[in-house]
Amino acid sequence: MAQFKTTEIVLDHKFDPKTCRHSLNDMVHVLHCHHYATLYSRLADDCGMLDGKKLLAEVSEDTFSAFLIRYYERNTVQTIAEKIAIAEQYYAATGLGQMQVTCAGMESGEVNLIHSHVDEGWIKKWGKRDQPVNFITAGYIAGMFNALFGCAPRTYHVVESECIVSGAERSKFEVVRK
Amino acid sequence: MAIDRKQVISNMSKIKVVGNEEGLIPAFNVYITQLPAAFWNGFAERLTRQVGAELLESAEWLLVNAAHECGYHTGYGIITSEEWKAVVQPMVEKVPEDILHGAFAVFTAWGWAKSEITELIPNEKMVVRAYDYYESDVVTYGASNKMSAYMIRGVCAAFMDLAYGGEYDPTGKTGLRTFQCQQVKGIECGDEYGEFVVTHAN
Repeated sequence: MAQFKTTEIVLDHKFDPKTCRHSLNDMVHVLHCHHYATLYSRLADDCGMLDGKKLLAEVSEDTFSAFLIRYYERNTVQTIAEKIAIAEQYYAATGLGQMQVTCAGMESGEVNLIHSHVDEGWIKKWGKRDQPVNFITAGYIAGMFNALFGCAPRTYHVVESECIVSGAERSKFEVVRK
Repeated sequence: MAIDRKQVISNMSKIKVVGNEEGLIPAFNVYITQLPAAFWNGFAERLTRQVGAELLESAEWLLVNAAHECGYHTGYGIITSEEWKAVVQPMVEKVPEDILHGAFAVFTAWGWAKSEITELIPNEKMVVRAYDYYESDVVTYGASNKMSAYMIRGVCAAFMDLAYGGEYDPTGKTGLRTFQCQQVKGIECGDEYGEFVVTHAN
């Protein structure tokens, strides 16, 4: 009988007493609460100065793509299944929520969130709303697909078609190559 | 001052933060994330550099405000937590001043900024120095003309709100924004440390 081994992420947490900074795998990480993440998301949504939603998603894409690419290289993670498992686990370890990639290919994909820091934080703070708010995760998914398939930034277009913040049981993201 | 900063930092920096089976981190009456500093810096810096000079102040206010609300609610969660009661509370002699000193030790332990209060006039003014903070990472060469520690500004003002702004209000309608903070020095601007002055809001 075949044995399936689940790939488990290795996160090396360090606190540097000299600088008083925390790092995960040598990348500085910081703790913030749902007020901060939802206010940044609201700022991006309300921003009349520029396209804040796009900006927040792009920053997220760049940041998480960089983390995942480095992780895959350092740990010699090679298969798409292993890479997806790592990306889902990192998402959960950071407190962003519970993510399930239901399918992924070079041209498209589908991703569900069973739990979402941003959506559940938003509901806790302001209640439900009918428009998506999880621009951070849209960017995370774009960055994850870049890292999975070795693509350049802004290769994928990610749309949140169902959202926990609107009352859906799960958030659903649809990914398509531009 | 009765707060043993070194002890607080040593204890509070060891708290393990990791997502539960739902990928969430409920703690201190809020949900927490542990994200790369580059993410927060990236959004703040791209936003403030792209909006143009006329809208810069508005953009900065929005960023400071996010931290102000976060600092108010999370700060309250921290100073009423079991961890606080175990580590910091026994050192508190003078309220609320010792609580403020303890809060900045926790602020340091959590990796927001290696910071301490250098001047405190109760219910009037507080000066905070930060000797290392992630928001200064926006500059890796040279010195910027723009101070970038929006998160520290917001949290410093929030801590004064908690200390002197009256009873904590979970809705944030009262108590919040009774103080404001200005950054007067910044590592990102070539200064040796960041300096933050908190006074009553106008």
